[in-house]
Amino acid sequence: MVTSASAGRTKGRSKLMSLEEAAAMVRDGDLIALSGNVLHRAPMAFVRELIRQGKRRLGVVKTAGAHDIDLLCAAGCVETVSAGFVSYETEFGLAAHYRKAVESGEVRVNEHACYTVISALRAAASGAPFMPVAGFRDTDLIRENDDFRVIPDPFGDEPVTVVRAIAPDWAVIHVQEADETGNAAIYGPKYEDVLMSRAARKVIVTAERIVSAGHWQRQPTLVDIPGFLVEAVVHAPRGAAPGSCDRLYDADLTALTKFMKLDRKDIPAYVAQFERADRSGRKAVIRI
Amino acid sequence: MNRTPGQPKFVRPKTPLETAPGTPMAASRTTLRTTAPKTPPKTDWRACDIMVCVMARLLQDGERVFHGVASHLPMIAMALARQLHAPNLVSLNIPGGVNPPSIKKASYSSAGADLLAGAEAYFPLEQIFDLSMRGGLDVAFLSGAQFDVHGNVNNSVIGSYRSPKVRLPGGAGSAVLIPTAKKVIIWRTRHDRRTFVEKVDFVTTRGNVWKIVTPLCVFGVKDGRLHLESVHPTSSLKEVEENTGFPLKYGDVTYTLPPTPQELAALRQIDPYDYRLKEFKG
Repeated sequence: MVTSASAGRTKGRSKLMSLEEAAAMVRDGDLIALSGNVLHRAPMAFVRELIRQGKRRLGVVKTAGAHDIDLLCAAGCVETVSAGFVSYETEFGLAAHYRKAVESGEVRVNEHACYTVISALRAAASGAPFMPVAGFRDTDLIRENDDFRVIPDPFGDEPVTVVRAIAPDWAVIHVQEADETGNAAIYGPKYEDVLMSRAARKVIVTAERIVSAGHWQRQPTLVDIPGFLVEAVVHAPRGAAPGSCDRLYDADLTALTKFMKLDRKDIPAYVAQFERADRSGRKAVIRI
Repeated sequence: MNRTPGQPKFVRPKTPLETAPGTPMAASRTTLRTTAPKTPPKTDWRACDIMVCVMARLLQDGERVFHGVASHLPMIAMALARQLHAPNLVSLNIPGGVNPPSIKKASYSSAGADLLAGAEAYFPLEQIFDLSMRGGLDVAFLSGAQFDVHGNVNNSVIGSYRSPKVRLPGGAGSAVLIPTAKKVIIWRTRHDRRTFVEKVDFVTTRGNVWKIVTPLCVFGVKDGRLHLESVHPTSSLKEVEENTGFPLKYGDVTYTLPPTPQELAALRQIDPYDYRLKEFKG
């Protein structure tokens, strides 16, 4: 088999931009889906940039969030959270800022089961208005969350719970590798990120490493998010810190322990200390 | 005791706790009636050890078993069961590692990439949920903040949903897994009157709760009501009674079989850094 090294290279336009430019595309009131799960591969650099830019009234969607949602709530950026679980795990306890923001009435929670978030994203990804969810019945969540309805099964006798489609304005997905046109690969657990990229209206990829065009030419199946779905690519080294990014770094438990002691008034300083590192990514790829 | 004469048409099948080979449960049963048990023997194990061992013994060979986030005890129990009596147990988790070879790196999280590294296959959360929805998940381990006498589970709010006194993490997968997994094992490292209540503040979910394992005892569910099955040898019927917010129902209560030397040796090997103690801190 003869292959030319350049034959499969994309000629598409570069979507590489700075973290500041990418975050500036998010408007107040937008609904954003965040990649990863609890402390793993969340787009933390992007989250901190949203805070630095003073975004307000954001909706956040995720199956299980931790530091990302906690920090956004601490900074007063959030209006609603649609998630199955928001907490740190075991030793770090509850997400204190999220908890306070909800208890004070500042943030509204549309509590989901993690699976109903998935079903809602699947509905959006497939263009359906809603999705039936088997087994979701004996719960007060149906009463409290307007995303759910119980309807007659048009083909059977038992009622069925349906969840309204959730099409985020943005899916922000942190990955290990992306090329400048947006093709992106996730290594290790993918969590719900591939689904999010299909359900959202627009996708922003933040990547630990920007690879050259044609990087996956011999194994295109490794690309989880094709570039044609992607609006912007940001080079964000350590972009999931202080959480983990598989194969590159583990969570920084010392930094997280310090964060747990912070008051809400300390948050701007906390976010500022990451600014230099967060914005250190390359703004353009130098072609050789 | 509290049995209603003429009612028990339905006889619950014997549980693996009672029948699993290699667990000499029947031989060591001590029937407790209404009297408090004698002073328990001195032990070289802790509540976290007996909880993990009980949870492992509830699992049978070949079962498909799931644990979620913030779930160190089930994660270790599943590894223990696979090592001792259930080598063909299928261990499933959020990052999607089928039968992770080791849990030693899962120090601060039970949802990290370390559980996928070296696993047999990739079967992520979305697919685990689908599996449960179509009736293919045997056991799910779930927890919560509040449980009531009828087996309702709350991990959403204390107080009202719209203006909560305490906003809890949320039920995660439990609102779909508790009704659909064939058997649900609840564990909770706290056993007090705020945790075990007459009526939960909010029903995050209810369904196929099969056992509840606490630092003091094991509850089963009988006729839609929590039923005390065994008391750990480190506790007593009185202690369970004092720390439970509803009147206890029980028939033949036994002492929980303490961890065996074999189980403790396996635990030291599987979990050398004592992650099983983590949920008891803070």
